[in-house]
Order: sequence, then structure tokens, then C-alpha cells
Amino acid sequence: MKRVVRLWVNGQEATVQIEPTKTLLDVLREDLFLTGTKRGCDSGECGACTVLLNGQAVHSCLVLAAELDGQEVVTIEGLSRDPTELHPLQKTFIEKGAVQCGFCTPGLIMTAKALLDGNPDPTEEEVRYGISGNLCRCTGYSKIVDAILAAGEEMRRNKP
Amino acid sequence: MTVTVEKYSTVGKSIHRIDALEKVTGRATYGDDMRFPDLLHGKVLRSPHAHAKITRIDLSEARDLPGVKAVVVGKDAPFRGGEAIRDQPFLAVDKVRYVGEAVAAVAAETEEIAERAIELIKVEYELLPAVFDAVEAIQSGAPLIHEELHTYPHMPIVKPVPNTNICAKFEFIQGDVEKGFRQADYVFEETFTFPSGHHCQIEPFMAIAQADINGRITIWVPNDAPHRLRKDLADAIGVPFERLRVITPPYMGGGFGGKGGLKVEMICIALAMHTDYRPVKILLTREETFTSSLMKHNAVVTVKTGVKKDGTILASQSKLIYNTGAYAEKGPTVTLHGCESGVGPYKVPNVRVEGYTVYTNRPIAGALRGYGLPQSSFAHESLIDMIAAKLGMDPLELRLKNALEEGSINPTRGDILSSVGLKECLLKAAKEIEWDKPRPPNRGVGIACEYKATKTPSGSAAFVKVEQDGSVGVITSAVEVGQGIKTILAQITSEELGVPVERITVTSPDTDYTPFDASTTASRATFHMGNAVRFAARDAREQIFELASTVLGVSPNDLEAANGEVRIKGGAKKMTIAEVIKSKYKAGLTILGRGSYYPEIQGTMFSARSIFYMYGVQAVELEVDPETGKIKMIKVVAAHDVGKAINPMACEGQIEGGVVMGIGTATFEEVKFDEKGTMLNPNFRDYRIPTASDAPEVIPIIVEATHDEGPFGAKGIGEMTLVCTPTAIANAVYNATRIRLKELPVTQERLFNLLKERKT
Repeated sequence: MKRVVRLWVNGQEATVQIEPTKTLLDVLREDLFLTGTKRGCDSGECGACTVLLNGQAVHSCLVLAAELDGQEVVTIEGLSRDPTELHPLQKTFIEKGAVQCGFCTPGLIMTAKALLDGNPDPTEEEVRYGISGNLCRCTGYSKIVDAILAAGEEMRRNKP
Repeated sequence: MTVTVEKYSTVGKSIHRIDALEKVTGRATYGDDMRFPDLLHGKVLRSPHAHAKITRIDLSEARDLPGVKAVVVGKDAPFRGGEAIRDQPFLAVDKVRYVGEAVAAVAAETEEIAERAIELIKVEYELLPAVFDAVEAIQSGAPLIHEELHTYPHMPIVKPVPNTNICAKFEFIQGDVEKGFRQADYVFEETFTFPSGHHCQIEPFMAIAQADINGRITIWVPNDAPHRLRKDLADAIGVPFERLRVITPPYMGGGFGGKGGLKVEMICIALAMHTDYRPVKILLTREETFTSSLMKHNAVVTVKTGVKKDGTILASQSKLIYNTGAYAEKGPTVTLHGCESGVGPYKVPNVRVEGYTVYTNRPIAGALRGYGLPQSSFAHESLIDMIAAKLGMDPLELRLKNALEEGSINPTRGDILSSVGLKECLLKAAKEIEWDKPRPPNRGVGIACEYKATKTPSGSAAFVKVEQDGSVGVITSAVEVGQGIKTILAQITSEELGVPVERITVTSPDTDYTPFDASTTASRATFHMGNAVRFAARDAREQIFELASTVLGVSPNDLEAANGEVRIKGGAKKMTIAEVIKSKYKAGLTILGRGSYYPEIQGTMFSARSIFYMYGVQAVELEVDPETGKIKMIKVVAAHDVGKAINPMACEGQIEGGVVMGIGTATFEEVKFDEKGTMLNPNFRDYRIPTASDAPEVIPIIVEATHDEGPFGAKGIGEMTLVCTPTAIANAVYNATRIRLKELPVTQERLFNLLKERKT
């Protein structure tokens, strides 16, 4: 039995008819074609599907979409639509060489965004701990940590 | 070391990756992101038994389920595939050989229907005795896993032993090892065991296949070698190349050697042959990715080394037994490369290495970053430290005394080596880790070094097309697996053509359009494809100079290209490349540059001495908690001779990633099985890989012993980066605790028990 669910995704209203068993990840990828959010394990262990739900980083593969009526979701596509106006995290991920295969990158950037939104001036330890739910097999994390610290610095600088 | 004056405009610079913008904005397309309007979804029924005869399969209920389009079993696609040995059926025929092997597959309108149909398939089995341990599997009387081994086609260099479980056997002999042992003052012999592990690419395995009315099959798959895949499929199915098309999605979510060859490809094609030309997708679950794609070889390696009192190595013998699981996959050549580096990067006059690739009823093992070297290296690099301890020598000094250098003879193959940056790597790594610094109790340092071949001979071809507005397209089958090859090839093209990187695009492979490339493996892409692209760009440049010389009234030799312009050397006269093309082709044309590279080395693939060797040294500092066995990684220094770093930041990224993978390999990663052969930890909760909290400070050091034949002197890097890490850790654990590890991973529990044993 399908249900009608109205979500706010990346600032826009999205109404979908879905089976109650569908996860937020399914809806983002299959119904809304927002494929920037990645499916890595479907069990909340790899972090590739991380999005912001009402400002909090969540594993979208563990959230049932039918329960999200009226709630607000931000995906990687929502961080910036214009290549000249990238989010500081997107900029520093490029500059610091934090991207390799890129499959974990959207989830990591969303986790890092939630982290910096809650703790604008984290220590390296806090960054490492904060992203330890996001697995990356390519980079060894050094350049990702550098990118997040640099983005934090830029965000603090830009804040009055 | 060659000191190079920085004479390049783009090469050698850490420019931003050309694919980074797409990736940080979520716009990069991976296999599972592609959309097909009439797509069917495939699911696979897998064997619950490690070794069993299939006595009956009942598909009737599955076929009757509404929404099911096709149900296939082995006899519906009666083909066998495999690069080294053609031993693997597309789906099991008559018997299954490991838990997780594909027995039947369903294509249906939705994933849910396909899953339900799978549950409706009834299979009856008759259990057969199974063998899981490679050493047991080569004993006489062990259950035979491939009765028809003698009938399988195979690579020339692979020599299966019929009526045994030995699917390949290799031997390297130089000098007289027995004589060497007789002349030695001391002879050491030890056996080491290396665990099987998993690649854990964050992107699960997937493929989409579609047959068409012309009898052609197209497959979209993140495979690291689309041309090899096409050949493997053509050989298996018995069709010429034009009946197959392999398209690699723009991006692959990590490979590490695992995403080559035939895996989900075979099942997907078996289904596509029965879906009335509709495309079908198979996306493996994380559990299936663990159990039914590929693992790393578990290996048992025995090394025997004879030395003089002063530490000079006189003879070294090594026996490698690699557990390749139910099918050969790349196991034979993984073993071969393990053998090639089987006595380490040392001047050893008397050598004997023998390697065995052994079938067992484990899941299939194949290529994983390092290609057999982490296993063999753990043995001889641990033994070197044991020898140093016995002789009272510093392990670094013992290595420096015997290390390969420019002009040394390769101990296993006997070829003369050039472009050898090993000693520089040893000295720089030792300096950076402060090797001689006194350390507090429970702290230790360890070092390990290695050299690695690339598969040789192998070829690459490319086109570089220059369009009428001066923009450039690089047409190549190199696969962007995350290493940055698109950026590297753009930099090489930019350098050769004098066109800014921003005006260069690099294709993803499509065997209909992009020319041959052996594979994006073996750390060969920068060297081989880099050469092919460089030659293609040079060919295009020469054609452009020819045109420009007419207009500018000078010889082509007096021209140079930079910033999208052709100009007279030392003069002011110049014109844009677009103007040059328009000067002759007023109605428009493409300037097409051709390039290919194939080393001037005779022999079939993998049979010859390597066209280049990579050298690497890693040094580790760590601390062991004597009460709990917990290891705290303090620092890893990784010095790697890459020939020439086309993009230093990309090289650093490879090194940092390989080191952290190596830390996982050394300290906690291991796939585990129950007594019936079922994998116990096929998920990221039970098979943990390193997180950001596990990763220590990693200091990459790039050493550049340029290679005469490499593009701008470049060699390779990717694979070497994790080869030394596990052993450097094991040696550091010894340094901290005086406990010699002969088996990895050194989990906290294992080290705790070893520390406890030592106390009692």
C-alpha cells in the first residue's frame, strides 16, 4: 500500500508516493534522482549515504521515508548548485586532494558539515572522531581531515 | 637520484584533479547511478555449501511468479571464463565449490519480485568433502575440487597440475642455492602465515547487461580492464570481439585490483541472454560483495636465508603456498609476482623460489593491491629482522648492506636493474622516523622494504584529438578507479601539446570507441598509458606544427607550443592552435594524433622481466600497551621511488591510502569462516576497516629515480604503497616487545595472548 509523503529536499517541496518499506536513501536515489547520495552497505555501517535530516547527519539507508512527512532533508546536491559558489567543504576537499574514487565523498562532506555546524572550531582529534562513521578506503583520511579543518577555518573567517 | 631542473609547465605540479568538482558536488556518475527506462533487476541464488553436487533444481514456482522475466541456471549459459585458467562457469554446473557461488539467477520487474523468486527456487545438493586449507589441499587424498583441470584452457605461463588442487606452479632459480647455504656462516628458516582479507571498495559490485537483435551484448560495468573483459568474455562465450561491447561508467567507487576479470559480469550476461533484449542490472549487496566477489590470498610462506657473519646474504630460498579458493581467477599471476619478489630487494647470488597456487573450497581470491607481495614480503622482511637480531646488526644497516642499487642483478629473474631508488628510500625513511633515537619502553620502530614488478609485456594505445577550436580530447581506455589517471593523462597531454588542462577532456572506456589497454592494474597506467597518450599528443603536435610552419614560414623544428598557441622559438610570431587548423581546414576538421606503447620485450603476458620496478620503504613507530596488547600507531613514514611524480599530491594520496589499508591488514582485518566454509563477518561491523580514528600521522616521501622509458621518467606507485606496511608494523612490534609475529593480523587479542605467554 503506497503512501503519499511530502518532504522538503534541498529547500524544495518533493511529494512522493512510496511503499512504507522504502528508506530515505531509496526515495532520494530512485524517486528524486538525487544519486549523489551513495548506497554502500544498506545497513548504516559505511556512511556513504549520509544526509542531513533537520540539520542532523543521518544514515539515509536506516531511515524509513514514510515517517518523514514535512521534514527537511539536505543532500550533497543541495550544498551548492553553482560551481562558482561551492560550500567551503567542497572547495577544501578539492584543494587539499581529499577526493580519490569519490564514492565516500558526498557522505563525508555531509557528515563534516553537520560536525562544523555544531562545532565550528574542532580539534583534529574531534574531526577524526566525528567522521569515524564514514569509511574511506582510498585516502587514508589525512587529506580529508586537512580539508575539514581548513573549511572550518574558512567558515569561521567568513562569519562576522 | 637524478636531480631534475623543473622544466615542465604542468608535469610535476599538484594541480587539482579534473574530476574533483563532479565528485564533491554529487554529480559524478557511478554504475548504480545510470538510469535505463526498461531496466530489469537481477538477484542471485547462492550456494549454502562449500562443496556439493547439485542433484536437482526446481525453477517452476520462480518462473510462474508474476513480474519474473527470466530465471537462469548454469546450463542456460554453458560457458566457462577466467583469464589465467578458464575454470569458472557463469553459474554453477553440476556442482558448487564454495559457499556463495552463484547457482541460479532471476531477472524481474523489481528487486522485490526478484528476491521473492529467488526464495521460490528449490535446489537439492549431495554434500562432498571439502578442503579449506591450502597446505591440506595439496596433500594426496585431499578432495579434488576440479576433476577436469586438465581440460581447461590456460595462459601459457600457467602450468596446472592435473588430478591435484594445484592450479599453478612457478619456479625461479638463479645460481646454486645449496652451495650458497653451504658457504654461509648462518642459515635461518622460518614459516609465516598471512590472512585473507577483503578489498572493501565502498562501491559494491554491479553490472548492467543488454543483448540486442544483432546478437551483440553490451555490458556497463565498473571493471578495471574493459578490453581484457571483452577478450575474457569472447573466449568464454566463443564469439568474436564485435559481438561484445564493454562500457565503463564514468567513475568507479574503488577497485584495488578487485574489480577486474569476471564476477557479476558473467551472471548479468547469462540473464541478459534471456530477457528479450531488455537490460538487466545486478547490484550485489555488501554481504555478497564480501562472500562472492573476491578476496585476498591467505598464504603460507617459508623462507630460508644463508648469510655471512658480516650480514652479506649468500643464498635465499622461498616456498609460497597461496590459497586461491574455488577458482583460479588471477591467483596464478598473483603467486607469480609474489615469487618474483620472493627473496626481497636484495643482492642475492643464489636463489630458489617456488610458488603454488592452490584450489580450496574458500571464496575466490585474486588481485588485491600489492598482487601477492604483502604475503611474500611479510616472510622475508620479517626474517631479515630476525637475522639482524641474531647477528647483532641494526636491521637498517643489514638492509643497506644488501639492498639493490643501480646496475644490480634482479635476484629472481637475473635481469640488470636500472632506475633503482631503494637506498635513497631507506635513508630518507630512516631519517624521517628518527631511526636511531632512543625510545621509551614499549615503544618500537620497524622498517621494511620491497621492490615490485609490473606485468610485462603489456600494451596501451590512445588517440589525442585536437578540435577546430583548439580543444583537446584524450581517447583512452584507462579506468579512473580513484587514483587520478584522468588528471595524470590530462597533465601529460597538456605538457606535450602546450594546451592548458582546462581545455582537455579525458574519456572513460567504451570498447567500441576507445582503443586497447591491457588493464588499469599492476601500477602500469601512468607508465604505459602515459606513454601512449604522450606519443599521441606528440603526433598531433607534429601535424599542427607542419600546418603552422607553412603559415609562419619556418621549419616545424623552429616552433614550440604553449598556452594553446604555436609560436616561433625565441620570436614574437605566434598563432592559436585553432587558427593553425583553420588555416588549412576552413570547413573544419579534427587533428587526430595516434599513440601506442608496447615495451620491446619478447614473451607472453607476465612471462618477461618487468619493464620497470617500483621500490618502497616504510618505517613505523608504535607503542604497545603491555597490559592489554593494544597497539597505538604513532607515525608511519613511507618513502617510494615513483620515477617521476607527474602529480605529487596524487602520489601522496596513493601512499597515505595504501599505508592505512596496510595498517588494517596488519592489525585487524581478516575474513573468518565457520568449519563448513561460511564467511562469518561479511559486513563492515564484523569486518572492520580503518576509520579516521585508526589512522596515524603518515608522512609520504617521494623519491624520483627516473626511468629512461617512462613518460617524463615516471614509473608507478599504487600497489607498492601497502606492501611494506604490515611487515614494518610486525618489526616495530618486535622492537617494542621482543615478540616475533609469524602470523597476522596482530589483533589486540592475539598480542595480549602472546604477551601473557611471554610472562609465564
